[in-house]
Amino acid sequence: MADEPTPSYVAGEIPNGSVTAALIRDLEAAVGKRYVLSTPDELLLYEYDATIDRARPQIVVLPETAGQVAAAVRAARRFDMPVIPRGAGTGISGGALAATGGVVVALTRMRRIIEVDSENRIAIVEPGVVNLDLSKAVAKHGLYYAPDPSSQRACTIGGNVAENAGGPHTLAVGSTTNHVLGLELVLADGTVIWVGGRTRDLPGYDLAGAFVGSEGTLGIATKIAVRLMRMPESTRTLLAIFNRIDYASNAVSAIIAAGIVPSALEMMDRMIIHAVEQALHCGYPLDAEAVLLIEVDGLEESTAEQSEDIDRICRDSGAREVRLAVKQADRELLWAGRKSSLSALGRYFPNFYVLDGVVPRTRLVEVLRASNAVAEKYGLAVANVFHAGDGNLHPNLLFDERIPGTTVDVLQAGAEIMRLCVDAGGSITGEHGVGLEKRDFMAWLFDDADMAAMSSLKVAFAAGERFNPCKAFPTHRGCGEVSVANAQRVSARLGEDVYV
Amino acid sequence: MSEPTVASRVDDFVAAISQLQLHASGAQPFEIDGLESVVSVAPESLAQVQKCLTEAHSSALRVAAVGSGAHLQLGNIPEALDVALSTGRLHRIVAHEPADMTVTVEAGVRLADLQHALAEHGQFLPLDPPGADRATVGGILAANVSGPLRHRYGTARDWLLGTRVVHADGSTSKSGGRVVKNVSGYDMHKVYVGSLGTLAVITEVTFKLAPLPKVDCTLAIASPSAAAAQSIISAGHERGLAVIGAELLSPTAASAVCDRGAWTALLRIAGGGAAVARTLDELHDYAALAEGESAEVPGAWDRWRAVFGPADLSLRVSVAPSDAGSIAENLDRRFVGDAAQISATSTAGLVRINLAPADDARAPAIVDHVREIAVERGGVAIVDAAPLAVKQLIDVFGPPRSDIEIMRRLKQRLDPERLLSPGRFVGRI
Repeated sequence: MADEPTPSYVAGEIPNGSVTAALIRDLEAAVGKRYVLSTPDELLLYEYDATIDRARPQIVVLPETAGQVAAAVRAARRFDMPVIPRGAGTGISGGALAATGGVVVALTRMRRIIEVDSENRIAIVEPGVVNLDLSKAVAKHGLYYAPDPSSQRACTIGGNVAENAGGPHTLAVGSTTNHVLGLELVLADGTVIWVGGRTRDLPGYDLAGAFVGSEGTLGIATKIAVRLMRMPESTRTLLAIFNRIDYASNAVSAIIAAGIVPSALEMMDRMIIHAVEQALHCGYPLDAEAVLLIEVDGLEESTAEQSEDIDRICRDSGAREVRLAVKQADRELLWAGRKSSLSALGRYFPNFYVLDGVVPRTRLVEVLRASNAVAEKYGLAVANVFHAGDGNLHPNLLFDERIPGTTVDVLQAGAEIMRLCVDAGGSITGEHGVGLEKRDFMAWLFDDADMAAMSSLKVAFAAGERFNPCKAFPTHRGCGEVSVANAQRVSARLGEDVYV
Repeated sequence: MSEPTVASRVDDFVAAISQLQLHASGAQPFEIDGLESVVSVAPESLAQVQKCLTEAHSSALRVAAVGSGAHLQLGNIPEALDVALSTGRLHRIVAHEPADMTVTVEAGVRLADLQHALAEHGQFLPLDPPGADRATVGGILAANVSGPLRHRYGTARDWLLGTRVVHADGSTSKSGGRVVKNVSGYDMHKVYVGSLGTLAVITEVTFKLAPLPKVDCTLAIASPSAAAAQSIISAGHERGLAVIGAELLSPTAASAVCDRGAWTALLRIAGGGAAVARTLDELHDYAALAEGESAEVPGAWDRWRAVFGPADLSLRVSVAPSDAGSIAENLDRRFVGDAAQISATSTAGLVRINLAPADDARAPAIVDHVREIAVERGGVAIVDAAPLAVKQLIDVFGPPRSDIEIMRRLKQRLDPERLLSPGRFVGRI
């Protein structure tokens, strides 16, 4: 392969006031004065996402069209300023933070559903469309958009594309990448092009596939062609309660071994059970160690057969109780505990830190134990609520930032748990991205040659180092001081609007 | 001093890899579009692949990676072919974790052998392209070929979790991983799928797997018209019935595949017993409504794969699913004199057409016609197989699109000397 280019750009060189003022004038000309923000008050909202880090951009611009995005990108380029694409800011890897300052391109005004082709089960949307709004909009055709991150009421499709977002229902239908057919992109030089399209078989390299999950480092998607799915005629939800987490985990393996791929297979541990029971009175026994939430969908005949099999497998694996819901209202009750698990924890701990690691399904119990031991070592409480079916762990470290030194312990414990996932043959992220937070863990998974090959995409897209710098890949020159120079570590607070 | 000739560079290469004793393996020469490889090598480990590519690189030899050779007809005519690197001896199943539903295999594993091993655990990799009886996993990925299962299971990219490759200079890299959900790093493996070996040589692959359906049967519904047969496929799709493969066959194709002489919906019905029973019931009803005749046709898919392997002239049209049926009918009408056989995975918008024109001279006009029909509906047409004389006249992929410059830069970055199958890909990359 050709030699690595040296990044031309040294992060941390914040431009002076006159440069910023000139850039603001250009941006105002491109998108209108109202949609360029630069006062400290206005910027406040854009200096954080749902992680522990925070970093303030110099400017936020809110374009409404691809042309305006292109103009903003060109203007930032003229002043050699970083460009940070941003959706709803619900990410938990720091992907939308202006790590070295720069211009945040917030895409929340681009929220048109441009076209719904129900016959061909395709929609063309703008990046700022909220995930759940798309499913709502196409429901009248009996269709839905399958990837369902837990933040789907707030997160945007553009953000989902950047992080290759997942959700509880990716077990059977895959992540965002499996549902994106093509993208209109604004590249670093302001060019607007399409990669992929409405069909899968366009000649050429799968650039759309390469773009999904590139964390805003290759370009900005301004239109997204997504695949829609037909709503199943029948859905059945089961809730199985176990006295031991090993039993629950064995049940997960046994369901898969029986040739059943449920549409969702979620696990909650004792800490979650307690919190949820106190808050919602779902009828979870307080001496239970694990609850599995299992959903199957498809033909009535399939879901009936599969839910009977799952019921039997859970009982054979030691479930003390299995509940079944068929009607939508009853199913929602079973999901209620899962969906409110993090907000329920807020009663006990003011702060949390959610991790996103993946292990092979067969290593779940062992990694859970080891990860709980890490938390214990640091004197931290941990609650696990996660996508057991695909081995996607979400340990939530719970703490109170007012106790000095705790935040440092939390980050250290988080790193150790990520390492456990890697050592078990897994990954440092299943659905939230590497972002700012985990870039230094990349070397646990990928060597220099792996990352050099990946960097060829940056060259191919001519992205340079100004698109979302310091994200997704380990520190290059200048990024090391991000957290010291520009980012201030604060703790995310538990509350109503937190998700995992 | 003049440049060393290809022959002398090949000699250098052969000398450099002689310690590997790859010649003793009896590697066959391969031919792509009339170009025969000067030397064939069949390494049996990652280190040997690296050594071969390192030496080929330093001798400036052009390399084509070859699996079973099932897909060599794809792509434009390469500019040159010096070394055929066969992956046939990279045939180990590295790890199969039934409970994780993942498998890691070397690229030269034959799909049929893999399916056999997986079936013992009630699992399979849901890919069934033409040539599946002998094609290797690496070849299927590099060619990105699909079969009728695409209706339910999508294409190779949807099942691919990670790859290891060797680059043109002999260095190696991986992307993705072995777990079913993973968003760390760029998904490089996506660009290797369908790249016809022009970016790197795939050496190892990890897939996620699907459970084998408990019941699996095949129904052919011969219908009075293309529209009637298509209506049955569409109805099953709309109802979410337990159909995992659905092909719309032209009368000539149906005659070869399942002894029907009419437009036929060929359906693979699979799943749990009750779901299959209901699906069959409903399909029989739809068949009656469309005045079709239905019959179970065991073994039809093997014949389908034989019939829809490469022909004298093979094309693939990709359009919106809603246009696939009418395009199939249109193509059949227009090319009936050229022994056209058509099979459409209509729900994926894919229409395959195999032809045997009486006269090769007609072929370029046929390609133009098909392309015109595809473009009219906002689609594309790719030539999958054609006589050499025809391939010399056309670009099998058609005109490049606006993203071609990104592709060129990717190629330039990964293979700056253009040693890996130069000229074979889109835009003659």
